[in-house]
Amino acid sequence: MTPDTLVSFEGVVKRFGGFVAVQRLDFEIRKGEFLAIMGSSGCGKTTTLRMLAGLEAPSEGVIRLSGQPVNDLPTWRRDTPMVWQSLALFPFLNVRENVEFALKMRGTPKAERRRRAEQWLERMHIGEFAERNISQLSGGQRQRVALARSLVVEPEILLLDEPLSALDAALKVRMQSVLKNLQRETGITFVYVTHSQSEAFSMADRVVIMSRGKIEQIGTPQDIYRRPGTRFVAEFLGSSNIFQGTLARDAQGGSALETPLGSFATENITGLEAGAQATMTVLDTKTHLAAERPAGERNVLAARMIGEEFVGSVATIYLEAAGGQEIRVQKGHDQLAALPLEIGRELFVHWNPADAHIIAEA
Amino acid sequence: MRRPISLYGLTFSLPLLIWQVLFFVFPLLFLVALSFWTVKNFALRPGFDTVNWTTIYGRAVFWQAYGTTLALAAAASVLTTVLAFPAAYAIAFKLSDTARRWAVFLMVIPFFTSYLVRVYSWQIFLSDNGIFNAILGWIGLGPFAMLNTPGATMMGYLTLSYPLVVLLQVFSLTFIDRTLIEAAHNLRCGRLRTVFEVIIPSARTGLVIAALFCFILSFGDFVSPVYLGGGKPTTLSILITDTTKSGQQWPRAAVIALSMIGTLMIVAFTAVTFAYRGKTK
Repeated sequence: MTPDTLVSFEGVVKRFGGFVAVQRLDFEIRKGEFLAIMGSSGCGKTTTLRMLAGLEAPSEGVIRLSGQPVNDLPTWRRDTPMVWQSLALFPFLNVRENVEFALKMRGTPKAERRRRAEQWLERMHIGEFAERNISQLSGGQRQRVALARSLVVEPEILLLDEPLSALDAALKVRMQSVLKNLQRETGITFVYVTHSQSEAFSMADRVVIMSRGKIEQIGTPQDIYRRPGTRFVAEFLGSSNIFQGTLARDAQGGSALETPLGSFATENITGLEAGAQATMTVLDTKTHLAAERPAGERNVLAARMIGEEFVGSVATIYLEAAGGQEIRVQKGHDQLAALPLEIGRELFVHWNPADAHIIAEA
Repeated sequence: MRRPISLYGLTFSLPLLIWQVLFFVFPLLFLVALSFWTVKNFALRPGFDTVNWTTIYGRAVFWQAYGTTLALAAAASVLTTVLAFPAAYAIAFKLSDTARRWAVFLMVIPFFTSYLVRVYSWQIFLSDNGIFNAILGWIGLGPFAMLNTPGATMMGYLTLSYPLVVLLQVFSLTFIDRTLIEAAHNLRCGRLRTVFEVIIPSARTGLVIAALFCFILSFGDFVSPVYLGGGKPTTLSILITDTTKSGQQWPRAAVIALSMIGTLMIVAFTAVTFAYRGKTK
């Protein structure tokens, strides 16, 4: 445990009856970081957050908050305010009363309460709605009330449970920058649970990827994107082409992955023996296309084009290699202009061995 | 925007409309008319005379009964609400699904027997040589006068409305968003405080409507004030029967009945307004 650790999970397990929601979590949350916990539904991410908030008790293991074990501390004795997916604003209180709620529970004097609530309402740009009912606000405004209500006590840590999932796309992007700026300005540790890769990767300093109650990988968004730690992560992110095979070393000391589609050279191998089962991932943006078999390339694969998709200035080309393996290539329009893009046409996919990432797992 | 009334909609709402006109509006209008009739030689005479209104409203006994009835019904509403809430809370939040079904079933059982029968069985418990006094006698206490007291009347009111109030409260409590309760806990609101800060405000509409039902049932009840309260103090329902019996004064009884209906309407309107206050949209 380092001095800048705020929260640590030590061998935390959570069972609901016979169902294991979370199996052995060991990780730390640093002071002042924006941590996103990402995974598909049922992966245990919300349970993890609820245990941190004190809304569920761990079945095994210890959760420490600022070094102190908090397993038996009920949620109303911890300072772990949460922003809920449904926001959970009190409909029988107006905006100001909602924001003042936590202060009132601490016995903060009325004048002080009012001053701090107003300060946060102004900061969230909802000062003019102070006397409104919750039902009279838009989705974005409610979001801001929910944030103000949790932040008014100026906690060390803020927990967010998919708070943006109910907003439309444009508002979502705007709220993402609001959240990121808020986190940077206040220095409060944010723990943000989401199933959305774009939310996690655009806001978080570090991302935890969970699957079936276990952590698959922890790292910076860059790191996880370029070097997925497990085959699951690579598949979950969906931005890489994935090949499985056996590792081989040639006489010159180079390495290659022998796959049913051919032998692909790679440079990025550490601590792996020849003969080991491994997975190669290549980002779809680092995968290139050619009309004729390119000379001098070591990693070339013939594939038939099966579809294309345009989003803004970026195009994704879908191809099918032997054995039905799907290949994705993502490029700007101008990079594709010279290619004969027709459905059913055979093209050549190639990539640089330096861009191939190896996972020690088949 | 008004939509034209369709034949389809009319067909289905017509029975209700006919029922209302036949058994509520028409008798009510008749009651209003009756209150201006007069009685001569034990015979009703149609006419328009305000004498019944001035007579009844000029009598202290009417205002006394009015105050008593209002106070008893209000007390019954408050008492029933307070006594029912812990039970409703436990049923809604603490019991398992199976136990909750059983508890709701137990609250329905009292409706299997007539209210009159349940009131009579209270007499067996409350009378001077009844079960309660017999038990107290063994330990050397009493006998206490329990029957024919306002307390016994109140017991009858509770018997009448408690199960219904519990059911209505359970119904409104189960509709509370559980996340709100967790959110309150998360913002440092302890268990007991959450009941007052979140649960009661969330369930306000249902709690007020339940209390209103208790008020309506108690305010017009005749059985408990007579068979448990012994007619002391006199309630408006007793006053109505007394008035009709003494000299066939149906018009004066109509005045009392109309006063009761008016009171109930004001109370119901006020309660509903309060229950739904702030719930625009």
